[in-house]
Amino acid sequence: MQERANEMIKIFIDEKPVDAEEGTTVLKAAERAGIHIPHLCYHPAFPPEGSCRMCLVEIEGFPKLELSCSTVVKEEMKISTKSERVVEARKAVLEFLLAEHPLDCPICDKAGDCKLQDYYYEYGLFESQFKETKEKREKKLKIGKSLILDQERCILCTRCVRFLKEVTKTQDLGVFHRGVHSSVNIYEGTSVENNYSGNLAEICPVGAITDEDFRFQTRSWFLKEGESICPLCSRGCNILIEYHPGFSRFELPNRVYRIKARENPEVNGFWICDRGRYGYSYLDEGRADKIILNKIEGENVLTWENISEYLGEKINSMSSAKKTSGIALILHTWLSNEELFLLHKIFKKDLKVEKIFFADLPEGEADGFLLTSEPSPNRRGAQEIGFDIKAVDLSTLADGTDFLLAFGPFLSGLFSPKYLKGALSKIKRKVLFSSYSHELNSLFDVVIPVALIAEKEGSLTNVEGIVQGFQPALEPPGESLPEWKVLCDLGKELGMDSKFYSEFPSPETILSEMGEKIPFFKKKND
Amino acid sequence: MIKALGYFIEIIRGGLITTRHFVVNLFYHILKVLGIKTKRKGSVTIQYPEQKKEIASRHRSLHRLMTRPDGKPRCVACMLCVTVCPSECIYVEAAEDPDPEIQKYPAKFIIDLGRCCFCGFCVEACPEDAIRMDTGNVEFAQYSQQDLIYDLDKLIG
Repeated sequence: MQERANEMIKIFIDEKPVDAEEGTTVLKAAERAGIHIPHLCYHPAFPPEGSCRMCLVEIEGFPKLELSCSTVVKEEMKISTKSERVVEARKAVLEFLLAEHPLDCPICDKAGDCKLQDYYYEYGLFESQFKETKEKREKKLKIGKSLILDQERCILCTRCVRFLKEVTKTQDLGVFHRGVHSSVNIYEGTSVENNYSGNLAEICPVGAITDEDFRFQTRSWFLKEGESICPLCSRGCNILIEYHPGFSRFELPNRVYRIKARENPEVNGFWICDRGRYGYSYLDEGRADKIILNKIEGENVLTWENISEYLGEKINSMSSAKKTSGIALILHTWLSNEELFLLHKIFKKDLKVEKIFFADLPEGEADGFLLTSEPSPNRRGAQEIGFDIKAVDLSTLADGTDFLLAFGPFLSGLFSPKYLKGALSKIKRKVLFSSYSHELNSLFDVVIPVALIAEKEGSLTNVEGIVQGFQPALEPPGESLPEWKVLCDLGKELGMDSKFYSEFPSPETILSEMGEKIPFFKKKND
Repeated sequence: MIKALGYFIEIIRGGLITTRHFVVNLFYHILKVLGIKTKRKGSVTIQYPEQKKEIASRHRSLHRLMTRPDGKPRCVACMLCVTVCPSECIYVEAAEDPDPEIQKYPAKFIIDLGRCCFCGFCVEACPEDAIRMDTGNVEFAQYSQQDLIYDLDKLIG
């Protein structure tokens, strides 16, 4: 089977010769050749259904129009996607689909992303011949945690039914009744309660299933998207962050409005879990955007340059007096490979710091599909770089420590504030790099705001050991800096190997350097 | 000296223009008195605040929001006006209406008239005929910019 699938055959689409894999469908072959055939019910993750009839094409030698989503290509097949018959048929199909469609686009959250809307604009543009009144159905049916079903808008493509049958295998939705009365609904007394329900709103080609979380928040055409990687577990699902660039005259409280899945067959396929989809508040809520100076002698100007100079000086004096045992480090595994590599180089290799702890969120529960039990994205990366992941032990931490560099806001979740304050007050100098303004910040001398994964460049190693690069999707707020930059600056200040750190204008260069030092990270460059 | 002479010439030219207008208008007014119909009419001065000219039916004046029979705004917060507005002076915030037939209504609808250019695109874009610029009110000048920001109550009322 595998062997046959790789054989290429020649077909003609719109008189253009196209190479197609044997056994593939006309629609897939056309997509590969860059020819778009409109389709609503077909989704690459499921076998073809053929219920929407939008993907009709004319094939030479076939008496009727054929469904491109389920017709297998044959040698020398001549397919036309733009012939008069096809155009007419598409119009007719659209007219039938819209005959029962309520056309309430002004209140529909899908407007702007809706395939039916796009196809009407591209292939329809007819005056409806239906004068009959449209059937009344359920307009606002809550079918799950955060899903709302509008049966009037449904075109019965059954993508949602197939998703629940084939991906989550929970089969909560079904098509009930027959003919004009058929409608998608939940089985009585149940609801869609799995961790992947959010995907239903995303795969629905029309506005039948919409997200309660996004309901009436904004219109989709205002949103811009940025590619990123979900940091909420160690799977490293590829996501699209949809953010509002804001109106020039009216301020908006949040930037991010929703998260969508980004296709990556190696990691997450087409899906993301609900935790990643709805847990985006961490991107906007309680962010720190200014350097906070609580206590630092002889310094009053708040710029990162001054602070890095000051930190470099302190560390240098400690290392020249052979007192590096007084340095402690608290890290977390939301840091990218590059940042962990720089930390490893500066503190573990060069300064020989022994007290390196990791403060992360407590382990959660895996769900057996995408969500893993590790609630941080780069634990594997930290291990591969050579860190020994030790949980924070406050008594060892405070014992004989003069200088503490802490990263991340997670420390506050692990210990009670009183206990934490007691332990930290024993340490003379404390610096925190955190993205959030939090009570914890008052316990440190200086707090430097840093960027989140969505706001910086770098790479992460997921639980399976796949190294994935990411680019900034959002602007870091205020004075926030990406950690890799902070660490490069700090590295330059330290006298030991300062030339090494000035060679990195971007995380990409750090990763290629890592590839030479650590064989695990070489794979990505091949 | 020559420059001053130039000014003097311009004053005389201006006087001549005024005289020309006076004579031409007088001519058309005399024709009207005599009952002779002409295409061009003699110009008339309207004593504005006391005397007002009728506004043309397609004139774009102060906006108003239309209501449903029960007094709720007709607007469904689709934000097409926000999208189309070239001066970015409209801000709409949607909220959930308990009636499943309405579903969406504007919790906030703000027009910053200090920025509005009265192009009427919002009226054209509106799919619900919820916003109109037919109040005939052109006298809403204010002393402060803040007073020119109209909210839902002001636009419906």
